Amino acid sequence: MAGGPKALPSTGPHSLRDMPHPLAGSSSEEAVGGDSTPSPDLLMARSFGDKDLILPNGGTPAGTSSPASSSSLLNRLQLDDDIDGETRDLFVIVDDPKKHVCTMETYITYRITTKSTRVEFDLPEYSVRRRYQDFDWLRSKLEESQPTHLIPPLPEKFVVKGVVDRFSEEFVETRRKALDKFLKRITDHPVLSFNEHFNVFLTAKDLNAYKKQGIALLTRMGESVKHVTGGYKLRTRPLEFAAIGDYLDTFALKLGTIDRIAQRIIKEEIEYLVELREYGPVYSTWSALEGELAEPLEGVSACIGNCSTALEELTDDMTEDFLPVLREYILYSDSMKSVLKKRDQVQAEYEAKLEAVALRKEDRPKVPADVEKCQDRMECFNADLKADMERWQNNKRQDFRQLLMGMADKNIQYYEKCLMAWESIIPLLQEKQEAK
Amino acid sequence: MYVFLFLKNNFSVVLFLFRSVEHTDGQSVLTDSLWRRYSEFELLRNYLLVYYPHIVVPPLPEKRAEFVWHKLSADNMDPDFVERRRIGLENFLLRIASHPILCRDKIFYLFLTQEGNWKETVNETGFQLKADSRLKALNATFRVKNPDKRFTDLKHYSDELQSVISHLLRVRARVADRLYGVYKVHGNYGRVFSEWSAIEKEMGDGLQSAGHHMDVYASSIDDILEDEEHYADQLKEYLFYAEALRAVCRKHELMQYDLEMAAQDLASKKQQCEELATGTVRTFSLKGMTTKLFGQETPEQREARIKVLEEQINEGEQQLKSKNLEGREFVKNAWADIERFKEQKNRDLKEALISYAVMQISIRLHLVWTNSYLCLSEL
Repeated sequence: MAGGPKALPSTGPHSLRDMPHPLAGSSSEEAVGGDSTPSPDLLMARSFGDKDLILPNGGTPAGTSSPASSSSLLNRLQLDDDIDGETRDLFVIVDDPKKHVCTMETYITYRITTKSTRVEFDLPEYSVRRRYQDFDWLRSKLEESQPTHLIPPLPEKFVVKGVVDRFSEEFVETRRKALDKFLKRITDHPVLSFNEHFNVFLTAKDLNAYKKQGIALLTRMGESVKHVTGGYKLRTRPLEFAAIGDYLDTFALKLGTIDRIAQRIIKEEIEYLVELREYGPVYSTWSALEGELAEPLEGVSACIGNCSTALEELTDDMTEDFLPVLREYILYSDSMKSVLKKRDQVQAEYEAKLEAVALRKEDRPKVPADVEKCQDRMECFNADLKADMERWQNNKRQDFRQLLMGMADKNIQYYEKCLMAWESIIPLLQEKQEAK
Repeated sequence: MYVFLFLKNNFSVVLFLFRSVEHTDGQSVLTDSLWRRYSEFELLRNYLLVYYPHIVVPPLPEKRAEFVWHKLSADNMDPDFVERRRIGLENFLLRIASHPILCRDKIFYLFLTQEGNWKETVNETGFQLKADSRLKALNATFRVKNPDKRFTDLKHYSDELQSVISHLLRVRARVADRLYGVYKVHGNYGRVFSEWSAIEKEMGDGLQSAGHHMDVYASSIDDILEDEEHYADQLKEYLFYAEALRAVCRKHELMQYDLEMAAQDLASKKQQCEELATGTVRTFSLKGMTTKLFGQETPEQREARIKVLEEQINEGEQQLKSKNLEGREFVKNAWADIERFKEQKNRDLKEALISYAVMQISIRLHLVWTNSYLCLSEL
């Protein structure tokens, strides 16, 4: 740990790997247990005064190729890609939300714990704290540097103040789950998981400093796509991509409808709950008037109370677990449609340039280098997108299976709680009163 | 005895009786059917109220649908409502038939057997006059000096019972309304899941199946709420019974007041008599006043007046004696019926609560969800 900023040779993204990791001393901290997280102010002070993290200065290593940017390699990786945990070499968890109250603002940070055996990570384990805007930053960087891939969605950024309490336990927990899902989706992706920005996000002590550097670590493809001129219009989308587009349109539409229905159901259930909460106590009032019937009536009152509580738990679960996932997938399909459009642009440019060459009627049948480049770009894009779509479809299926089964399960639990409540009072109701 | 009621049309109720009457020789008699309108049931009840003031007379089902939730129309012609009314009338007759005292009533017997002219027969009893005076008396306000605590407590209880059951029925109706809403909105899932399944490959079957189950779930609410109405009807019967109970208490109050008035009147007459005899005037009397104004009366006149008063006092004492006796009889009989009623009420309401609980349990809709869970796992 050297003191004072050092200027290291600017060899691009690899330079980070050569440094001794600032968290080396604290990496033994377990993710679970011991509340040794420094206080908010200390945290802040540490970030700014931290002289351990040294960033490379200098420009963008434009020509650098990172191992996974080649499409052919990508394809091979995808074919071999096992979704089994056995071959996994990267694990990321988001947990331990903490509220930071500072003079200027109040915000929440989440702990990100990373465990990996990959060579891209200097240490086997990392633990950092990040806030929402850091995730937002990561996502934009991924979109920028990996434009041919589908980037997972983040939970909604803006929350209408006053309507939702963004510091409530429920809101924070819902967000944490979504952020965890976001990182896990990236982790599972054979290309995105090797992205340099992602690595920094997981490991850097001072992310803000890194952000300020404005390093654009574009991959080859990223660089290439960045320079696609947007002026060309595609005549026809190839069938397979048109099908994807249509599918996404309908899919988003149906999800939107389901979201509205789910919200309506929750609203109706809450109104039902309000009435139940008045209904139960009336039996208690009646019970006070009676002799022999007092106990049975009181029993019914308690029973209805239990059912009310069970219903409240159901509506909470639906709000916290069901709705957010639906909304995430709607956001997902929106961003996917943008990627499709980008792909169209790439193809359009290629076709236009090709046509221009054909019209020139030159003797040289040889296709100029820049047209070749366009073709290459298009083919890579198509391949990346197709592969990602397939992966997306599989994951979607699993996610919805889990989601819908979860919904059914919650409802079953609710009914079972009610059943138990009513079953338990039958003996009470049937009890013969002892002669008084 | 067996009573079955059938519907003739929307305006009348058919009374179709299989009446098994145990004659002394052990023979059973089956009668033909009779037609009776709702108004005739009302007439029967009013008659019983007049002639059995110490009995908690079984109530009639409601004439108009009250405590409805939005889906059930408040329309009296609604077939479900009419059917429930039919059951209520059947129940009313069965209650009377199983009452140890009421079942022996002649008019009741004729109600079940006399095809024509039954109304005239009832009116011939001259009960109408008594009914009017009874109604008037029940609505009058008066204060009893020495109320019987048992009856005042009971009256208080009947008021509270009416209040709490009304509240319960009102909230229950709202609960039913809301529950209906929850189920029906779930039905919307059916269509969208079906549409979604159309664009999916592997997930298609599972989604389609799930959608179907949502439809089944949504449509199950109609039966559930039908069963709940039956429970509400059982509560309503006791809501109306509470009124009947109150009427007995009021009757007692009336008798007590009457007794107190009679005693008071007698005491005043005795006082008058004494004064006339001794010549002291302590109580105010019109005669005394006119005497003062128009001159003293003769000793013969005074004697005549004393004689009249003495007669009145005698009469009054007889009356008071019989009223007292009447009062004690009433209390004895009323209290016996009240005890009988209490036990019946406890039994019936316990049964009602048990079947309500059983009904809640038998709504095994979690099975529907379990089914849907199973088919979703096929996704």
